[in-house]
Amino acid sequence: MADALLEALIASVEAKRAVALVTVTAAPDPRAVGRHALVWLDQEPLGELGLGDLEAQVLADARAVLSGRTHKRLSYATPQGPVTVFVEVQQRPPELIIVGAGHIAVPLAQIGKLCGFTVTVLDDRPQYANRERFPQADEVLATPLRETMRRWVAENRLDRDSYVVLVTRGHQHDIECLLEILDHPVAYIGMIGSQRRVRTVFDLLSAEMGIPPEKFDRVYAPIGIDIGAHTPAEIAVCIMAEIINVMRGGPARSISDDRRETARRRRERAAAAAAR
Amino acid sequence: MESFYHKLKEYLDRGETVAVATITDVKGSVPREVGAKMIIHPLGRHYGTVGGGCGEADVIRAALDVIQTGEPTTVRVDLTEDPTMQATGVCGGIFHVFVERWQPDDLH
Repeated sequence: MADALLEALIASVEAKRAVALVTVTAAPDPRAVGRHALVWLDQEPLGELGLGDLEAQVLADARAVLSGRTHKRLSYATPQGPVTVFVEVQQRPPELIIVGAGHIAVPLAQIGKLCGFTVTVLDDRPQYANRERFPQADEVLATPLRETMRRWVAENRLDRDSYVVLVTRGHQHDIECLLEILDHPVAYIGMIGSQRRVRTVFDLLSAEMGIPPEKFDRVYAPIGIDIGAHTPAEIAVCIMAEIINVMRGGPARSISDDRRETARRRRERAAAAAAR
Repeated sequence: MESFYHKLKEYLDRGETVAVATITDVKGSVPREVGAKMIIHPLGRHYGTVGGGCGEADVIRAALDVIQTGEPTTVRVDLTEDPTMQATGVCGGIFHVFVERWQPDDLH
């Protein structure tokens, strides 16, 4: 039984399918303690917890925990005594997509792997986007930037576990790539650039292309968390710190918070003026 | 990508019985998060960590018993000692670790 369960668990992890391992950690019947079951979102559970009438309820609750994506201990009061189970969610690994294979991309790919991300590097210059430069990356693509981003969107390659970092060789390329994914439900879009430059570019895009300014609120630009970074490696740390902060819902302030708040105040003032 | 469970399977495939420790809940400041896991090997070839230090040492001790008896247990690690130079558990929190035995199928 243990082997069958473990095989099924490993198969799901490899297929990047969401699965949760349910373990009985306390029960009035000591034979139930330590029993396991697996639950999926789209498949019947595997295994038996030995919890009798409570079993169906626990498995249904475990499935709800799986869709919430955070491990959780569940407690139940039964006439025979308390039952607790631990629901361990096997998440799909988050994905770091680095667009631009320059100086920052190299340490960022390394740090991304260290933090457990699947790492993809994209650049249209094969002399930069290659295996020798990114030995740890899961995928290195030397293909046109904008077309590749467009194809990814069309093929549903990006999702709510994707963290996209735009660090190409030129701001016009960053912007082109940004426009391809601005409406896409990825977890994170970060784009490099100074406060002044980012502000100017977003203002221009709103004015010239009619993009509502609030759409840029989701973009982390200037990218990262302010740790006074100087070198490419330090900047990579500050970017990865921001990604972790977003992923875990941490309390750190992003460098882009200032821009976001200023833009919001400006819109509110404009709306108030228009109402008068 | 190699997961914790790939690692666990490696032990079992070699015919080794191990214990798996999982942090199931935490209160206050503790060194690791809910869901952190560790494999405890009877001869010390452990894998992973549930936070290190004295708390982990308690977990390893309990796990060696679990490997013998097969009876799962829950270890409570209390890190709420007053901070002094000698104190070892001063992070400020408490966490619970569930410890269970995993053994190769042919040993059942």
